[in-house]
Amino acid sequence: MVGHSAMVATAPTDAIGLRQLAARIRLNATRMVAIQRLGYLCQAMSSAEIFAVLFGGGVMRAGYDRFILSPGHYTICVYAAAAETGLIETAELASYGKDGSELEAIGTERTPVVDLVNGSLGQGLSGAVGFALAARLASEARDTFAFLSDGELEEGQVWEAAMFAGHYHLDRLTVVVDANNSQVDGPVTSVTSIEPLADKWQAFGWRVIELDGHDVDALLAAFKSRSDGAKPLAVIARTKITGGLRSIPPSTDTHFVKLDKALETAIVSELEAALA
Amino acid sequence: MREPPYQIVLKPYGAALLELARRRPEIMCLGADLTRQTETDLFRDEIPDRFINVGVAEANMIGIASGLARAGHVVFVNTFGVFCTRRCFDQIAISVAYPAVNVKIVGFMPGLSSPGGPSHQAIEDVALMRALPNMTVVEPADAVETQQVVAAVANHPGPVYLRLKRGEIPKILDDDYRLDLRKAQRLTGSEACDVCIIASGMMLPAALAAARTLTENGVSASVINVSVIKPLDAATILNAARHCCIVVTAENHTVIGGLGSAVAEAMAEAGIATPLKRVGIADVFAESGSREYLFYRYGLGTQNIIGAAWRGLAINRTEPPAPVIESAPGTYAPV
Repeated sequence: MVGHSAMVATAPTDAIGLRQLAARIRLNATRMVAIQRLGYLCQAMSSAEIFAVLFGGGVMRAGYDRFILSPGHYTICVYAAAAETGLIETAELASYGKDGSELEAIGTERTPVVDLVNGSLGQGLSGAVGFALAARLASEARDTFAFLSDGELEEGQVWEAAMFAGHYHLDRLTVVVDANNSQVDGPVTSVTSIEPLADKWQAFGWRVIELDGHDVDALLAAFKSRSDGAKPLAVIARTKITGGLRSIPPSTDTHFVKLDKALETAIVSELEAALA
Repeated sequence: MREPPYQIVLKPYGAALLELARRRPEIMCLGADLTRQTETDLFRDEIPDRFINVGVAEANMIGIASGLARAGHVVFVNTFGVFCTRRCFDQIAISVAYPAVNVKIVGFMPGLSSPGGPSHQAIEDVALMRALPNMTVVEPADAVETQQVVAAVANHPGPVYLRLKRGEIPKILDDDYRLDLRKAQRLTGSEACDVCIIASGMMLPAALAAARTLTENGVSASVINVSVIKPLDAATILNAARHCCIVVTAENHTVIGGLGSAVAEAMAEAGIATPLKRVGIADVFAESGSREYLFYRYGLGTQNIIGAAWRGLAINRTEPPAPVIESAPGTYAPV
């Protein structure tokens, strides 16, 4: 995806507005997954505040800063947030995942809004490093934001890119990791040991901020913080895969949710109550 | 042979691998965070000591498999076809193919059977694996072949790439069908015919439907099922090519480097001038979508095979339409 950067972020909003935006992202995602009754719903539940702050918090400058989505199955969050912030038409969401739709469930080169998305895990940070290098070579003060998931940190390429970014002091590069402890086969902790995450990124030459990924104030402060020593920034956002929603039962396959009508209704009711 | 719509068998690979591993303690099962999706939950639940989930780390998985194999294990490596071929090609070349170790790489969701777009659609995996010395490339077409293929590749010394549709697998062949890794098998039609359709994997149902339609419209057709794309059973292919007017290959793969290429190479080397048409993905990346949508859009349907034969024979009549085969729940029909 070359030269997309169609980012037209809406005016920075307050914490209450950002929390409501997160709830609307979750609602949009629920309605999109309801189309096929199967899909990447919980990814939106865990990362809604991250996307709310990135897209609605005045973090990314319109048409200038770069946004890289590494795990392509999180495109649902981009669409849900983009519709709320005027980057795509809300009506387009109804085509999510349908044959012929540009709003594909796993991101491709057709995916709108983002500068880069990879459907194959672990490749996004390398691309983000390329964007950050290009900005430096052009003497541009562009910031590059790369969204990563914790499961994909198991791919070795992530750490090749992290080592590079630390070595080259790419201080206009920010990574946010949705640390929701979820991958296809279950909790990340049940598959392998990726912790201690903060220590790992620090050891690779990164500044690290570890925070509650559902705390919009903390996210906003982290994204707007400036480097104190020419280092890239890694924001480790600790999140709940259910987004804290009581309506999502513990037995749910959170990687790929089966969303029957009853579950849809329960989730929508809970989210609408939060918005009321 | 059975008639469409075909009855579906669930997880024939996973069941066969488990059954074999019960008797063969040297068999190991490796996966990369896609356990249920590769049918290996059956293995994990019954033989957890010989099941290893390496996480989302395919290159590492190939290296671990190589070490295990050098130490005497027969290692089945399981993930989606894209991730166990293009993602870790150098590791396969250096750690598996070159030392010719007993690693069986099992790649699921071939070609456009995945709705997940280009990152999840293995459209060139056969070409990649076929290019590696020492590598055998196997693609069963149905549940009967899949049930037999696990023991066959375990008994075959050295590296194998096994290309599998996942989950709901149609039963096309008769129960007395016997898979032979050395043989391509003619399933229908006679040696001397107008059109010889050479198919592999998920294209077999469409090839059979096309052959029937062609025959009903006065064009005699045979179908050869190629379960082993490398080494190709050139003798069977060339004999068929010598006795027909046109050869049509059908593969759920790019037309570059797969079955069609293998057949073309064999025919050209043998000096056989029979015309050849390749039905497959036309050197493009696809998109997300259902199997039906993608097979229509990217030319992998029964009609595409009929059309290739019809145009290739320059028949001066309207091309007959592909049969519409209704697929009830629990059954499978070609596009």
